[in-house]
Amino acid sequence: MSNSPDNIVIQVDNVSKTFQTADTDRVGALENISLDIRQGEFVTVVGPSGCGKSTLIKLIAGLVSLSGGRIICQGEEVRGLNTKVGYVPQESKLFPWLTVEQNVAFGLDSKGYSKSERDQRVQHFIQLAGLAGFEKRYPSQLSGGMAKRASIVRALAYDPTVILMDEPFGPLDAQTRMILQDELLKIWEHKRQTIIFVTHDLVEAVALADRVVVMTHRPGKIRDVITVPMTRPRNIFEIHRQPGFDEAHAKLWNIFRHELNLKNGASAAVGN
Amino acid sequence: MSSNGPTPSTNQPAWRRALKIHAIRFFFVGGFFLLWEVASGRWIEAFLISSPSKIWLAFLKVYQSGELTTNTWVTFQEIAIGFPVGALTGIWTGYIFGRSKALADIFEPIIIALYGVPRTALAPLFIVWLGIGIWSKVGVVFILVFFLNFFNTYAGMKQLDQEFVDLARLMGANRWRLSFRVILPAVSPYIITGFKTSIPFSVIGAITGEFIAATEGLGYYIRAAAGVFRTADVFVGIAVLMIIVILMNKVADLIERRVLRWQTQSESVQVQG
Repeated sequence: MSNSPDNIVIQVDNVSKTFQTADTDRVGALENISLDIRQGEFVTVVGPSGCGKSTLIKLIAGLVSLSGGRIICQGEEVRGLNTKVGYVPQESKLFPWLTVEQNVAFGLDSKGYSKSERDQRVQHFIQLAGLAGFEKRYPSQLSGGMAKRASIVRALAYDPTVILMDEPFGPLDAQTRMILQDELLKIWEHKRQTIIFVTHDLVEAVALADRVVVMTHRPGKIRDVITVPMTRPRNIFEIHRQPGFDEAHAKLWNIFRHELNLKNGASAAVGN
Repeated sequence: MSSNGPTPSTNQPAWRRALKIHAIRFFFVGGFFLLWEVASGRWIEAFLISSPSKIWLAFLKVYQSGELTTNTWVTFQEIAIGFPVGALTGIWTGYIFGRSKALADIFEPIIIALYGVPRTALAPLFIVWLGIGIWSKVGVVFILVFFLNFFNTYAGMKQLDQEFVDLARLMGANRWRLSFRVILPAVSPYIITGFKTSIPFSVIGAITGEFIAATEGLGYYIRAAAGVFRTADVFVGIAVLMIIVILMNKVADLIERRVLRWQTQSESVQVQG
């Protein structure tokens, strides 16, 4: 991977976001965020609950409007919905009235792929997600892990420039989580699409990422960006043994410990 | 089959259970009619409750004379026009209101106020406006069906998960796909509920209109028969109305099974397991 500046797909330029609350107070969710994402990069964003990390990717997707600054995606400023991104929400959010196949095909149908290319791609991604044989099933007939994988390949299938993932593995149990992290990396190795992945799990953040963006508590600012030096492909199940993991994780934890001391452990743990 | 079931003691072949249920139901209904037949003229005056045998004879008579067919056809027409038009308009309006916050803000209080009006009380007005022919009854059917479909669809639109809409739009769905592939399917359980509850009300609407002023139709026929204490004829009319509702429900069930396939499938799996 080359890191030349013309390889930048997403440029977050001095972005702020404030929310208006009922009693006319303005709550700052994000303050002066600047970040460049390079082509093919896997970036994770970590921070305590309520630091605005989900808001950041919603801004990139154009689902939420900016209060200040600008976001440039492939040389174009994001105004309104950004259809160049794929979005994987916290819950799977497969369309329950469509079959697995129809769900995966949704983005392809909307973007005018030819019939044969569509079918081929759908089949390819269903296989990649280990869902062969489940094409005609409805989401309610899938396990949580299967639904999650379908949700991820639905976003990958139509080849968006950037995939945004908002704590996709949050609600899963530890084992399923690890298996899915492993599968996500394997799928990603195939295509090397650019991924921005929000999480609150430090191990997950380091294990998956090329770079980890650390955010501070409200108003959200970027505290630091850590480069993870581990080689790829990585083995999620023995990630602790891989050279580079400990240093990166220790660095991250140091920042966090500092952050928690400053803001008082109890209040920092309050969910959003 | 039953050998690999986890609880073999409660498992019995499906046909046997179905047979049992049908048998019990048959005895219950048969017993009711028998009791009715016996009670009529012995314990209760025959002109008050008639009897199954008299109703059957009355049916044969009005059927042969063509009176029943003519009146049924009139009522059927009123429903066949008023119901689908009312249902589609109601669903469409509910959808439009759900999509446009401005429209909802302006008209919601007005519609809720209108909802407070007992709509059958509007029936005399429809007679004044549209005459005593079928169109006044079509109007009453329409208004009853419209509101039920509108309110259910609108309630569904309010429950709509914004994330589905966001996802579909991010994936490049145009207006058409957003409406027909995402929003309407998402709201379909609500739409189906409104559609199904409005079926008996469409019949109520037609009959109410015919009670007030008409020269034909099942409501007219029932009222005329009751006026001269031909109780058996009244029951023939009621039985035909029941059959109309049952048939409409059957059609609605078919539609529901098709539209909500994604739901019923998972449900039946859970119930069986």
